Amino acid sequence: MINFLLKRLLSIIPVLLGISLLLFFMLRMLPGDPAQVLAGQMASPEDIEMIRTQLGLDQPVYIQYAAFLKRLVHLDLGRSARTQNPVTQEIWARLPNTILLALCAITLACAFGIPAGIIAAVRPYSWVDYLVTLASLIGISMPVFWLGIMMMILFSMTLNWLPAGGIGTWKHLIMPSFTLAAFVVAFIARMTRSSMLEVLSQDYVTTARSKGLQENLIIVKHALKNALIPIITVVGLQFGMLLGGAVLTETVFAWPGIGRLIVDSILARDYAMIQGTILIFGLLYTLINLLVDLIYAFVDPRIRYE
Amino acid sequence: MRKNGRFRFFRQFFTIAVTAAMLVFLSVPGTFAGQIKELKIAIGVDADTLNPQEQTTTLFQNICDLIFDGMYFQDPQGKLHPRLLEKHTISDDGLTWTLHIRKGVKFSDGLPLNADVIKQTWDRVLNPKLRVPLRFAISMVKGCEKVDDHTVKLNMKYPFAPFDATISMALVSPISPAAIEKYGDDVRQHPVGAGPYKLKEWVKGDRIVLARNENYWGKAPTVDQLTFKIVPEATTREAMLRTGQIDVCYKPLPSNVASLKKLSNVTVDMPLDTRTIFMGLNCLKGATTNKKVRQAFNYAIDKKAIVNRILFNTAQPMDGPVSPKVFGYAKMDYQYDYNPEKAKQLLKEAKFDFSKTINMRTPNGRYLFDKQVAEVVQAQLQAIGVKVELRTYDWPTYVAGLLKPIEETELEVFLLGWGPLFLDADMALYGQFTSEVNPPKGLGSSFYTNAAYDEIMKESRKAQDPNKRFDLLKEASSIIWEDCPWIWLHVEKFVLAYSSNIKGMVVTPTEKFYPNHITME
Repeated sequence: MINFLLKRLLSIIPVLLGISLLLFFMLRMLPGDPAQVLAGQMASPEDIEMIRTQLGLDQPVYIQYAAFLKRLVHLDLGRSARTQNPVTQEIWARLPNTILLALCAITLACAFGIPAGIIAAVRPYSWVDYLVTLASLIGISMPVFWLGIMMMILFSMTLNWLPAGGIGTWKHLIMPSFTLAAFVVAFIARMTRSSMLEVLSQDYVTTARSKGLQENLIIVKHALKNALIPIITVVGLQFGMLLGGAVLTETVFAWPGIGRLIVDSILARDYAMIQGTILIFGLLYTLINLLVDLIYAFVDPRIRYE
Repeated sequence: MRKNGRFRFFRQFFTIAVTAAMLVFLSVPGTFAGQIKELKIAIGVDADTLNPQEQTTTLFQNICDLIFDGMYFQDPQGKLHPRLLEKHTISDDGLTWTLHIRKGVKFSDGLPLNADVIKQTWDRVLNPKLRVPLRFAISMVKGCEKVDDHTVKLNMKYPFAPFDATISMALVSPISPAAIEKYGDDVRQHPVGAGPYKLKEWVKGDRIVLARNENYWGKAPTVDQLTFKIVPEATTREAMLRTGQIDVCYKPLPSNVASLKKLSNVTVDMPLDTRTIFMGLNCLKGATTNKKVRQAFNYAIDKKAIVNRILFNTAQPMDGPVSPKVFGYAKMDYQYDYNPEKAKQLLKEAKFDFSKTINMRTPNGRYLFDKQVAEVVQAQLQAIGVKVELRTYDWPTYVAGLLKPIEETELEVFLLGWGPLFLDADMALYGQFTSEVNPPKGLGSSFYTNAAYDEIMKESRKAQDPNKRFDLLKEASSIIWEDCPWIWLHVEKFVLAYSSNIKGMVVTPTEKFYPNHITME
């Protein structure tokens, strides 16, 4: 187990290197000059050149990459071109907010999605099943932007129950978490349904039923436990997505997270900041994958990592 | 006896109550009737730097003004008020400016503001090793010399009449030398100035909080704390204003301005801006080198329709080459009112080649509805038979294309905005149309070249008499208006919505607002 863990952790390094290499050269292929954007519309060519030198952009790309790697070894992601602050500092200021929001959203999504999926699977092709399918479809199709604004109109402007945006209290968390969860809940419900349906048709379920076990017990103890693996996979993947893909929700609800930081950095061609945030996402994503694998072994004793 | 006891009790209670009230009153120094505890303002983006020398965004120059104060303050009418400077004198040749510094000014850290600090500020702004993106605006200054403790002398490379308005910009606001020494370049995170406020807290991506500077030399502001909340989405800012979560909403959506105006508890201020939006026309290369073609394009566009239908009246059609808010503006004698027939006639006279496709470019999301405006221009040019291909770019890509020299440039017709940083026509008329600013040296991307025009603009910089300067600027305006290096589109308005119990908000045409002395009912 320990060996497996070490091996997996070590394998993260080439993955991150790959990401950084791709990203580094892709970014520099984008049209647009960071120095020019920073200097503003009216700056003189000399001042733009000076900023380019300051940012090290006058160097050949491979030298820039070497310098980047050298800093990376010391866990230094460089300085943002836009704010000139260390990238790690800018990320640290926002990452906890993003993680908090993603955790709330995924918890909500599981709390609604898994029971809904189970109910739909237990009564397949009944009105409950169709209702769950319909709700999932709506959840997936509804643009985050639209849902967010609709909720804001109802709960902030009409009812005045919740703040329209910002952070601070638990009340600020409610609308963004629900908005994010609405999309994810659909995935989880559909995966739970199909996985449960498959398991419920297995022989051991029939055996359990013929033993005269209570139906509730069969569903929770025998069926759900066996159906969990694909559900965990989806939850893990979706959690990774939430960490990186909450840009719209963060924007609508003025939630100071990472998503917005990335968009602003791309618009300013802030190379160091884009590289830094994407690398952190890569790291988080691989770590979540690892965690998911570990949970597999915990849920299903047949899975062993040697 | 009982009655007496009750009376005594009341008397004691009364005494205690009055004493307590007085204690409370006395223990809060500086608080008086009408004092406002906090004003919450929602803005769209977080600041990159709060070092006034580095800042290029008006909103953060605005915040810098609150923290640092300016040498002068230019009010919405363009009048200059002394702030950190008491006055200035100019030598007859216009090559020496003597600045008299206000006595008794202290930074919020208690350090005195004197000639050494002002000299240090000028040295920093002029130091080519420091990042000062707006340095071009003071590039006429050769150097600064200390005269005595409260006087410095600036030596100029050439006379520059609107220099007094220039130094109202945050660009030359002094930073406390102690802060520079302590934080070095990171002073951008820890700004210390001599303005009415000081930075209390800056939570990245969430808020910037300013608190009253107790050491401020001038009239104390009525608001104790200014909280700038970062709310990227304009709709959300508006919802927060409507629900009372914030007091001031920076730039609500133009499409919602009309409905906001109808609310009794919201005031919408929208002064005309200095920023003009235009379609640049390449005067040195391609189909638009012919003046008649450029004039025809001006007649072909219905600018009033653009303002009404696309911009929801948050702009006004241009009736001269600069915004009506700047010194030197004069409404031109004739207008290029929408007249497609006349446009066709002019194109015919110019022997315009209708088979060729004109290449048009626009940024997307840089200016209000920029892409939509460009689409209308494209459609209206096509309506008079001109083939136009429109391409959209994000800003970094776009601006890179603007600065290419004439040999490499692909620009034919391109949308751009230009907003003078203080209320004077020089930055527009000189900064866009003299041959000196043709790319790659400047952003005069229309490549307008006219020696007579250059001469008038140089003269205007020498003219210390405002009347004479006005006449010169007007003359230059008439020339450029006739030559049409741009399709003259519109002047934007700066929209600020706030709770209607706020009175006395100062909102300027340079997209700034000063809540220092507001009252709240």
